Parts: sequence; structure tokens; C-alpha cells
Amino acid sequence: METQTAGPATAAKVRRATTESPLVRWALIATGMLFIALVLVLPLISVFMEALSGGFATFFQAVGNADTWQAVRLTLLVAAIAVPLNVVFGLAAAWAVAKFDFRGKSLLVTLIDLPFSVSPVISGLIYVLLYGANGWFGPALKELDIKIIFNVTGLVLATVFVTFPFVARELIPLMQEQGRDEEEAAISLGASGWRTFWYVTLPNVAWGLLYGVLLCNARAMGEFGAVSVVSGHIRGLTNTMPLHVEILYNEYDFVGAFAVASLLAGLAIVTLVAKSLLEWRYGDRLAGGRKH
Amino acid sequence: MTITADGIYKSFNGFPALRGVNLSASRGEFVALLGPSGSGKTTLLRILAGLEFADSGRLLFNGRDVASQGAGERNVGFVFQHYALFKHMTVAENVSFGLRVKPRDKRPPKAVIDKQVNELLRLVQLDRLGDRYPSQLSGGQRQRVALARALAIQPAVLLLDEPFGALDAKVRKELRRWLRRLHDDMQLTSLFVTHDQEEALELADRIAVMSDGRIEQIGTPAEVYQRPATAFVYEFLGNANRLPCRIDRGRAMVGSLVLPAPEHPELRDATGVAFVRPHDLIIGDARAEGLEARVRQIFVAGPAIRVELALLANGEMLEAEVPHGSPAGELIAPDKLVTLTMTKIRAFPDAATA
Repeated sequence: METQTAGPATAAKVRRATTESPLVRWALIATGMLFIALVLVLPLISVFMEALSGGFATFFQAVGNADTWQAVRLTLLVAAIAVPLNVVFGLAAAWAVAKFDFRGKSLLVTLIDLPFSVSPVISGLIYVLLYGANGWFGPALKELDIKIIFNVTGLVLATVFVTFPFVARELIPLMQEQGRDEEEAAISLGASGWRTFWYVTLPNVAWGLLYGVLLCNARAMGEFGAVSVVSGHIRGLTNTMPLHVEILYNEYDFVGAFAVASLLAGLAIVTLVAKSLLEWRYGDRLAGGRKH
Repeated sequence: MTITADGIYKSFNGFPALRGVNLSASRGEFVALLGPSGSGKTTLLRILAGLEFADSGRLLFNGRDVASQGAGERNVGFVFQHYALFKHMTVAENVSFGLRVKPRDKRPPKAVIDKQVNELLRLVQLDRLGDRYPSQLSGGQRQRVALARALAIQPAVLLLDEPFGALDAKVRKELRRWLRRLHDDMQLTSLFVTHDQEEALELADRIAVMSDGRIEQIGTPAEVYQRPATAFVYEFLGNANRLPCRIDRGRAMVGSLVLPAPEHPELRDATGVAFVRPHDLIIGDARAEGLEARVRQIFVAGPAIRVELALLANGEMLEAEVPHGSPAGELIAPDKLVTLTMTKIRAFPDAATA
């Protein structure tokens, strides 16, 4: 046959089975972008605009306030205690759930999810009910002169409770998917349980763990409800950044409120940038593991 | 290293996986555990490795009871079905793992470790790939890394779980010959699990055929293939046609045919099953003596012509093999009537096949 037409290989006409028409593609992309702009980008920009609406001088004055600095320090302190605790708890829980079979496993998985399903305000109230002056352990704690509610201890406890699921939830499916083969290989090569965990299990879940830590950290710094109940809002003492934002806002100090809010948003952006840098720097080495 | 397993029982959540397994392997032997999936062969291998623990039974390595020892203490090299390479470590790091995790007082110095790793990589023909990651290797290369890693701890026993299961046919054949040579050169004692009878027959010194948590027969490849002890072994090793028969005083009656069944001189008019291999079925002219059958399908591609036939008596389908160019080839055409006789059968009374 001489009248062969140009084959289907003409570059412009290559079609894949998973491709939609241009109209549909553009509609989908535009919807996504519009949504992100309205819900994520605009609010973020408005936070910084409001914070700087009175000029840099006003901004720095608001930020430089002693109470604000105390709130920043307290927020970082609470996160610095709560996040490592939840990394240890989360790793232990995920390791137990993913690598071992035992009675009550599904109950444990449900319990891990509990903080997600309970309103943070309730979480805070539980601690007041348990450790408050009139709570179950209140008198005993008073005897021992231990103060939990309206104190940093209470803030840490409430934050740990609320942020507990992040690391465990991130690691459980990942560890389950990876199975036990590599651990068994390490054990049969003579490695102890501790070495196996350190050299095999942990590197395999490194990216999942990092992601869980970031989510956990973001929530620990931003938690409002539970912390608000146990804090008592003592300025310069038990005020975290989110609580400080609310106080300033209620006092009609809008520039101050947004200035502190912009610091909080800034911390979130810093953690995201740090994650991207780590991925970029160590991505090749950990190519075997899963990335987010 | 001699291995003796004695009366091994194991159940998972009440479901029995091994029901009293006895097995031994002597120094230098290459033993195959052959069976269908669910027959318990992998469980047995994992119990030998210390990755599972038997509910009861004795396990001796060189006469020493190791049943309570963990996997790390048994000095066993285990090659996993899907290799289980450490994804985040290079090939060299994978291979050296077993040496690097030794307790400080037994750990060789780094220079010695590096030297041993290089030797092992040369042994498995991967000496240029030490810096690669497992994800950058082909299936056959990964398999050899897994093997080098297991050999690094100088194991007394090498255990392999479906070692060639995930490889394509050509690579599989090359690798298994290479593995057999390696086993002989290093004077290992090896056990491997497979569901591929061809692999077991070619590679092993002895084969343990497993079914439903028991060992049906242990013997050399020639023994299990030529003198299968049970109906299961006969059917599992190679293709087999089943024909109902009556067994009486050392003879088996299959339809109108009377064939020798010398294994059963004592049976009197018992019902049973006669097995016949496709190449032992002889196709004859329609007028000749034998079982009448109709040709259904003919497959000419391959080393012999394969013919599917339906028995006229009961519609049962049989498979025969006819060498290319033999006179019987002239007789076969689709839908043609032929007669079948058998040169060799093996009959089992019903109680044994149940």
C-alpha cells in the first residue's frame, strides 16, 4: 500500500490513556489553584499585611514586647518537650502495632486515634478534672506541692495528648507496608534488637518520621483549645503564642495580634523549608525509603 | 553441619502448619523442600532458621539442641524470597552488615571487613557494584547480594526460601546451576524451599516432598520421581493422568486393560487410582486393543507433540506426549478416534489417595 498516512507516532498527537481533554485539564487545575489561593495563600498574605499595616516600627514594637517574647519562649519550650515525647511514644506504638501480633491490637490503634476524635477543649477539661484544685488528684497533688493545672506541666500534658497521634499515625501504615522481612534478615545476621531498630527499622521510616515530627511540631506550637483550658492565661507565665494572639485580639490590639500571628506563621514556614532542605540534601541517600 | 528435626509440630492460631515433621540433612548435602503453597515448607525452613519456633519437637544442629536459640545465635544464613535487602544501604554495606553488627570483641577490624566484602562480591560476580543501592540492581543481582550477605557470617547452614521465585526463566536456570557449584565449592549444608519440581529435581541431592504439614517422601530425585511413595508425590512430580482402576493380586484393571501393579500383591479387588505419565500413554489405531478415546486438541510446539484426548467411556480428559516424527503422529488428527494403551502405570488403592 502506497497511501500510508503518517503513523500515530506524530509527536503532537501522542495520547495516553490517562489524559483528559485540554478543557477538562484546565478546569481541574484552575479549580485547584483557586481553592489554594482563597483558602491558603490569601489568609497567609493577609496575616503579614495586617502585621505590617502600622509600619515596621509598630511591628517590632509589638514583637519586642516582653510578654510576647515570653509567649514565644513558652511555645518553643512546650513543643521542645512534647514533640520528642511523642516521637518516642509514636515510634514505640507504631513498632508494636506494625511488627507484632498481640491481643487488643485494634483497641490500641483506636485509642491512638482518640485525640483526633475528641474536641481539644474536652482534652483540656479532662486534665482540669483530674489534676485541678478540685479534681480527683487535686488534694494529693496539693499535699505534695505539685502544680499541674495553670502551669507549664499542664500545658505540656495537654499538648502531648492532642499531638499524640501524628507520629504514630504516620508510621503505622508505613511500617505495616514494609513488613518484617528486613528486620528478620538483620536478626538472622546476628544483630541485636536494638541494632536492628537503629540500623534497619529507623532508616526505613526516616521520611515518614520526619513528616510526622513536622505535623506534630506544627500542631504543638499552634494548639489552642486544650492549652487554653489548662493555661489560665497568666500573662508572662502560662501564655503560649496562640493564646497571646487571642488576648491581644480581644484587647483590640490588632497590629500586635497579627504581629504575633505572623511569627507563628513564620515558624511554620521555617519548618517546611527545613524539611525541603533535608529532602534535597539527603534525598539520594534515602531514595529507598518513601518520600512525601 | 548435620541437621536433625524430630517430630516438629507448629500451628498458627489453631491451624496446624506442621504435623510432626522428621527431617535430617548431613554435611555437604543440598536438600529441597518441595510442595504446593500451604504445605508448610516455608514454616519448616523458618523454624530451622529460628525465625519461628516449633510448638513441640526437637531440633539438633550437630547433635546440639538449638530449639530454644534465637536466629542470631544459630549461625544460619537465610536468603529471603524477596531478598529483604536493606534498601537504604549500598550493596557493600548490605554484605558487611552481619560483620559490622558483631559484638565489639568479635568484630573484625574495618580493613578485614572490607577485604571479606570484596571477596564475597567477587564470588557472586558483583565486584564492581559495591556502591550501588539495591533499587539500582536487577532481580538476579539482588538475589546474589542477598546470598553474599548471608554468606558473610560464614554460616554453618544456608537456608533459601524460594530463591529463584521472582526471577524470569532464563536467569533462574543460570542462577541455580551457579548456586549448585557455589554450594559444592564452599562445602555448605543447604536447604531450599521451592514449589517448582523441575528446580528441585535438578538442584537437590535429596528432595523432601511436603503436603499439608507432613513430609510425604524423602529421597534422591531419581527415587522420588521413579518410585513415588504416595499418590500425592506421583501427581506433584511431573504431569500425570488419573484413571480409576481396580487392583487385584498385583494387577490393575483400567477399563479393559490389565496392567502389572507389583506393589500391591496382597490386595483383593480393591478400588484405586492408576496414574500414568503422558509419555507412557501409547496412541494406537482405532481398531487396536485398548481404551477408546477421541482426539480433542493437538499442540505441536515444544520438544514433543502434546495431545489432549477424551475417553469415550466417561469423557475424562487425558494428556499424551508423542515424539515428533513417530508413527503415532500419523494417527492423530482433531476429532479422530484412537485407542490408548500404557507401558507403565502406578496404582494406589483408594485409602492411600484419600
